[in-house]
Amino acid sequence: MAINLASKKILVVDDQAIMRETFKHILGSFGARFIVEAESGISAITAMRIDRFDIVLCDYNLLRGKNGQQVLEEAKYLKLLPVHAIFIMVTCEQSQQMVLSAIDNKPDDYLIKPFNPQQLLSRIQRCHARKQYLAGIENEMDNGNLYQAIQCCKQLLQQNDKKMRLPLLKLHAELALKVGDFKTAEAIYQDILEERELPWARLGLGSTAFFLGYYDQAVKTFQALIEQHPVMMEAYDWLVKTYELMGNDEHAVSSLNSAVTLSPLSILRQKKLALLAERTENLPVAKKAYTATIKLGKNSIHRSSSDYSGLANIYLKSNAANEALKILYELNQQFRDDPEAKLRSALLEIEIHQAKGNKTMAQQAYGKAFKLNEQFDKQLSKELRLEMAKTFYLNGNNGICDEILNDLIKTNIDDNLFIKNIVTLCDTIIGENYAETLLQQIKKELVDINNKGVRLFQEGNIKGALAVFEQAIIKIPDNQTIILNMIKIIIHDIKTSKPDPEKIMSAQSYINKAIQVGISHNQISGLQTELNTIEYKTHP
Amino acid sequence: MSNTPILAIGFPAILASSVHDIKNSLTTLRVLIGQLENSHQDPKPTEFKQLEFETNRMNNSLMQLLTLYKIDLSQFNLAIDEHSAADIVEDVVAQQSTLLSLGNIQLITQCDDDLLCYCDNTLISNALCTLVNNAQRYCKSKILLSVSKEDDYIVFCIEDDGKGYPENLMPSEHQQLPQIDLANGNTGLGLFFTETIAQLHVKGPNSGFITTDNHSQLGGARFKLYLP
Repeated sequence: MAINLASKKILVVDDQAIMRETFKHILGSFGARFIVEAESGISAITAMRIDRFDIVLCDYNLLRGKNGQQVLEEAKYLKLLPVHAIFIMVTCEQSQQMVLSAIDNKPDDYLIKPFNPQQLLSRIQRCHARKQYLAGIENEMDNGNLYQAIQCCKQLLQQNDKKMRLPLLKLHAELALKVGDFKTAEAIYQDILEERELPWARLGLGSTAFFLGYYDQAVKTFQALIEQHPVMMEAYDWLVKTYELMGNDEHAVSSLNSAVTLSPLSILRQKKLALLAERTENLPVAKKAYTATIKLGKNSIHRSSSDYSGLANIYLKSNAANEALKILYELNQQFRDDPEAKLRSALLEIEIHQAKGNKTMAQQAYGKAFKLNEQFDKQLSKELRLEMAKTFYLNGNNGICDEILNDLIKTNIDDNLFIKNIVTLCDTIIGENYAETLLQQIKKELVDINNKGVRLFQEGNIKGALAVFEQAIIKIPDNQTIILNMIKIIIHDIKTSKPDPEKIMSAQSYINKAIQVGISHNQISGLQTELNTIEYKTHP
Repeated sequence: MSNTPILAIGFPAILASSVHDIKNSLTTLRVLIGQLENSHQDPKPTEFKQLEFETNRMNNSLMQLLTLYKIDLSQFNLAIDEHSAADIVEDVVAQQSTLLSLGNIQLITQCDDDLLCYCDNTLISNALCTLVNNAQRYCKSKILLSVSKEDDYIVFCIEDDGKGYPENLMPSEHQQLPQIDLANGNTGLGLFFTETIAQLHVKGPNSGFITTDNHSQLGGARFKLYLP
């Protein structure tokens, strides 16, 4: 499929002026008219904020500041790239690609230097053709309509394009995993592996085992993959995840440590290693990983004040209170207008000054934290709010602690790992049964709301039922039962009244939310089919 | 005398790191040549194409050195996936496009559009490029690059109309594979590299291999790469 470069907006990112010239010259000779150059990652991001580019050619080794991967991550995170955009990473050698392979955010293709005009054009054309072919699927995915995306996949597969069969099957399996349809994913990967041993299909089968809870089998699969493919970073990532869920943090740390040695530039891996090592009290590894995270963070969208407070905490635990204070000073320098950063800093200051026996300073820091919490409360991340609750309790402010815990449990009722963290914390500092009682109360409150809504619905008061659940969703946004009931009532409402496109859209958005909060495939797929049938009847 | 290494870092590591540097310089050199070429009016001196050809050869050799170094260290794995053979052929033609545009050598390709093969496409197209490059040096006027299916293998075949392989690059009675004599200055690195990565392509009991002979339908050398 020929591509008309004249109508495309192209961004060329390279720190060498002479390389940018070469790109411009080549692209110009193929008819490109709109070419913007950027000599650094920051100017690339600025350029993408101004123009929506169709094609980005980005060198990986940018001399100063962000590297190519960090540019891609930031562009994706800030949604600066249109869905149809092509992002090609320019690298010096092939093996770089594998080690680069970030946890997510892969470029559409790589181009290895040096290259001639024909090679560049053919790379762009191939990407373009592929993107066009998959456009229907990618658009649905971008809108969160995963079931529709799967439908598109199946339709394209029926066209029997031999070249596209495997890429489509791969996408189909990935989508199936996303909506929680593990059996379908498993079947696809097994079929492919019967034809041929392909590393990505094996990895997919391993991740399916992970989701189905067959952890031992998953570990075996990932270990075998690493054995055969020593630089397959994704296999390491999955292995770590599996160990973590098995509660085997020691193994998780050692696997992740190997991965980080191979691929030291991935900030998300370093950050994860720091957290895991901290949890296992492996202070030297945690310190090294936090230090690396902070360094990488200077050019990354993933930088966070928690990297600094994490490192300061490690120093505190290693009895290096003054070092810890130094890190907090740097934290405050780096994140001047960030309330979360200030709060993290204040919380640690309390502990550090207490450790140093400086009661007045500790009291001052507590005052700071108190004020900040009052000011920002619900805007803070859940982990930080849990920290706050702990601090309030330890400083005798049980009332506020209660309030925070109550709200945290409500808003995260289905997040098992986080609820477990809350329970563990309460058990150690407040006493057993405290969290349990709180949990029971909130669960009862939820049941009452649901019952009320369902009763109204059964009495035929659709409007009333909708109102109850709408109210509930504002208060408890991620509760699975409420979301499911909401979808069922809206669908019923559409069926029994005149078809209304707005109601259909609202039902779809709740279905997408349901996938996000992890409601199982068995519960959603039927509702999606029902909605599709309604939609088809309205617009056949 | 003991064999304790004198260098603190092993020589292979030093070599690999230097190869990186040379490769980077080479990229800049290529760009500079390109700029110089652009500053000339048409018709441009054909030496530019020759320059590109030579830098291409250097780059391919360096890339192969680096890959072999990593294979030796077990820090390498193939990125195997299903690829269209026609796309690989297209990649090879694209890399050769500058020199071919001189017009005194003709590269003919034969490949079915729906022929698929399982391989690390970057490595395979690079290996094929080197061998097509070699063929350009030894042929008279024609090179044929074809892909076909033979039993359980996909076969990439490069044939030319030159004088054919010298004896040392052909299988002897005792040995199936061509003898590659690195010590004698006749490098054959391209063949050695291709053979090494061919062997890494495995399906069940079958693994990839290469053959060399002088049964080209054009009268010269014939090279075949078999991938399972």
